[in-house]
Amino acid sequence: MGISDANSTISQAPVAIWSQTDAMHAQVTLSGAVNVHSLGGVWTDIRQKQSLWLGQGSAQGHSLVFDASKVSSLDGSAFAFLIDIEEAQQKAGGQFDIQGLDPKYQPLLREFDPIDNLFPVAIAKPKTSFVVSLGMATQDLWDDARGLITFTGHLSADLVWSLRNIRQVRWGDFVNAAVEAGISALPIVGLVAFLIGVILSFQAAIGMEQFGAVTFVGPLAALGIVREMGPLITAILLAGRSSAAFAAEIGTMTVNSEVDALVTGGLSPIRFLVVPRVLAGILVAPILTLFADVVSIFSSMLTMQIYGVPFINFYNGMLAAVDVEDVLSGLVKATLFGVVVSAMGCLRGMQTGTGAAAVGISATRAVVSSIVMIVLVDGIFAYISYRTGF
Amino acid sequence: MDALDNAIDVQNLTVGYGSKVLLQNLNFSVKNGEIFVILGGSGCGKSSLLKNLFGLYEPLSGDVLIEGQNITTAQGVERQKIMTSFGVMYQQGALFGSMNLLDNVTLFMEEYTHLTRDQMNLLARCKLDLVGLLPYETYMPSEISGGMQKRAAIARAMALDPKILFLDEPSAGLDPITSADLDSTILDLSKNLGFTFVIVSHELASIYSIADKVIMLDKDAKGIIAEGDPKTLRDTSKDPRVHQFFNRIMSKDAA
Repeated sequence: MGISDANSTISQAPVAIWSQTDAMHAQVTLSGAVNVHSLGGVWTDIRQKQSLWLGQGSAQGHSLVFDASKVSSLDGSAFAFLIDIEEAQQKAGGQFDIQGLDPKYQPLLREFDPIDNLFPVAIAKPKTSFVVSLGMATQDLWDDARGLITFTGHLSADLVWSLRNIRQVRWGDFVNAAVEAGISALPIVGLVAFLIGVILSFQAAIGMEQFGAVTFVGPLAALGIVREMGPLITAILLAGRSSAAFAAEIGTMTVNSEVDALVTGGLSPIRFLVVPRVLAGILVAPILTLFADVVSIFSSMLTMQIYGVPFINFYNGMLAAVDVEDVLSGLVKATLFGVVVSAMGCLRGMQTGTGAAAVGISATRAVVSSIVMIVLVDGIFAYISYRTGF
Repeated sequence: MDALDNAIDVQNLTVGYGSKVLLQNLNFSVKNGEIFVILGGSGCGKSSLLKNLFGLYEPLSGDVLIEGQNITTAQGVERQKIMTSFGVMYQQGALFGSMNLLDNVTLFMEEYTHLTRDQMNLLARCKLDLVGLLPYETYMPSEISGGMQKRAAIARAMALDPKILFLDEPSAGLDPITSADLDSTILDLSKNLGFTFVIVSHELASIYSIADKVIMLDKDAKGIIAEGDPKTLRDTSKDPRVHQFFNRIMSKDAA
C-alpha cells in the first residue's frame, strides 16, 4: 500500500469539506486535485454526513450545493463521487447542484445519464432446493458417463482403423508421447519402486521374525510386487505425470480452438491427438511396470540382508513362489492401466471449457478420474483372476 | 522544451530480442494530453516498442522517461509508482478469466486505493459504462465476444484514472459503430480529462479522427520513416511507403 499512502500524504487538506448553513441547506466545497487517491476516506465521510442530514426532518426540499470553483483537477473517480451523492439526493427527493465547475468537465458529468443505471437493484439468488441439486448432480453424472461411453466407442473405432491403416498413425507424436511418458518417468518410477520394496519387506519381516519365518518374506514380497504393487504404483505415477500432461496439452489446444480447426478440416481429433497418446500409454505402461518390479525386488533383497537372508536364498524362494504367469498377469494389467490412464487424460483435455482456469480443472479431473478408473479396472481384474486362476 | 510538457520521452531506444534488432536508435516524445499513434506494417515491431515503453521488456539500449522518470532503470517502489501512473490494454484483452468484468476493473483499486467496496463498484460501473459494457458487469470474460473483451480491458486500464493509457490495437475486431464510439470516448477523455494516449493502430478512419500525431515505423529501415499529423502526411508525404499506407494502395500497383 506504499503508493496510495504516498499519494494521500501529498494532499494534506481533505479535498471535500462539508458545511451546513441551515436544516435545509448544505454545501460541499471541493478543492485541489480530486482523484482516486485523495478521495479515499473523504468520500465515505461526506456520504455519512449527507445521510445524517437527509435523515433529519422531512426529506423533501433538502438542497445540497457542490462548490467546485477551487478544484485544480478532477478524474473519473471524482465524477463517480458526485454521482453517488447526487443519487442519494434524488432518492430522498432533495435537490443537487454543482457550481463553479470548469466547463470542460461538463460533458463528462452528463456522460453517465441516466445515473440510475449505475445503481442496479440487487437480485437475490433463488435458492436451489436439495431435490433440485440432487437431480442436477445425477444429470451431470449421467452426462459424464455418456461422454465416457461415446469416447470409448470413438476411440475403439479409431484404434481399429489405425491398426488397419498403420502408416497413417501419427508416429512422430507417438514417439514424443512415449519418450515423455516413458523414459522421462524412469527416475521417479525407480525411486518410488525402490521405496515400496524396502517398506514392504521391512514391515513383513518385523512380523514374520516373531515366528522365525523371515525366509518367507522374499517370496511374499516378490509375489505382491509382481502381481499388484508394480502395476499399481506405475499406473498412479503415470496418472500424476502423463495423464495430467495430456489433459493440459489437449486442453490448451481446445481453448485455442486448435481442436476445432482439426474438426473443421475434416480430421478426427481422436485419431490425431488421442490415438498416438493411447498407443504410447500401451507401450510404456508394461515396460515401466517391469522396471518397477525389478527395482522393487532388488530393494527388497537388499533389505532382507539386514535380517541375514542371503541373496541366493531370497532368489530361490522367489523362484518357487512366482511363476511366469504371475509376471504376465501383472503386465497385462499394467497395459490396461496404460490405456485407461492415457485415454482419461485425453478425454478430460477434450472436455476443457474456456479460459486458463479450465485447463487446470481438466488436469485435476484427469488425475482423479484416472485413479478412479485404475481402482475399478484393478477390482474387475482381481475378480476375473480369482475366478479363472490367471 | 520543458521536460514536464512531455508525458513520455524516448531517447536513443533500440528495440529487439537478444541479437535480433527490430528498431534502432528511436527518438521521439509524447506531449501531455496528446493522442499519439504508432503505425507500421505487420511485424515491424510496433507491439514490441509499446512493451518497451511501458517497461514490460527491457530495451537493448536507450532510455524511456515517463513523466520525467526513467522506467528502464527504476527499481522497487519507485518502479511500482511509475507503473501505476499508466494503464495498459493488451492486444488480446488479457482479462483475468476467473473474475467477472466488475471484479476485473476493481482489482487494482483494491490494491491501491482506500475506497470502500460500494465506491469501487460504482467507479468500476462508470468505467464499464464509458466503454458500453455496463449491462455485462457480472459476465465472465469467456462469456463475451472478443471485441467486448477488448473494451473491458480498456475499462480495466482506466481503473486508477492513470494519466497515460497505452492501447494495443483497440479498434481491431470491433464493428464500425462500436469503433466510432470508442474513438469519441478516447477524444473525450483526452480533451476533457487530459489523458495521454499512446495507441498502436491500423484503422485509418480511426487514426484520421483521433490522432494528434503519428509516427510510422518500417521493418527495413528499422526506425521512424514519417512523423507528424496524419492528414498532412497523407496529402504531402513524398515517401512512397507512407503514401501507399495512407492511401491503401496495393503493393503491385505501387511498384
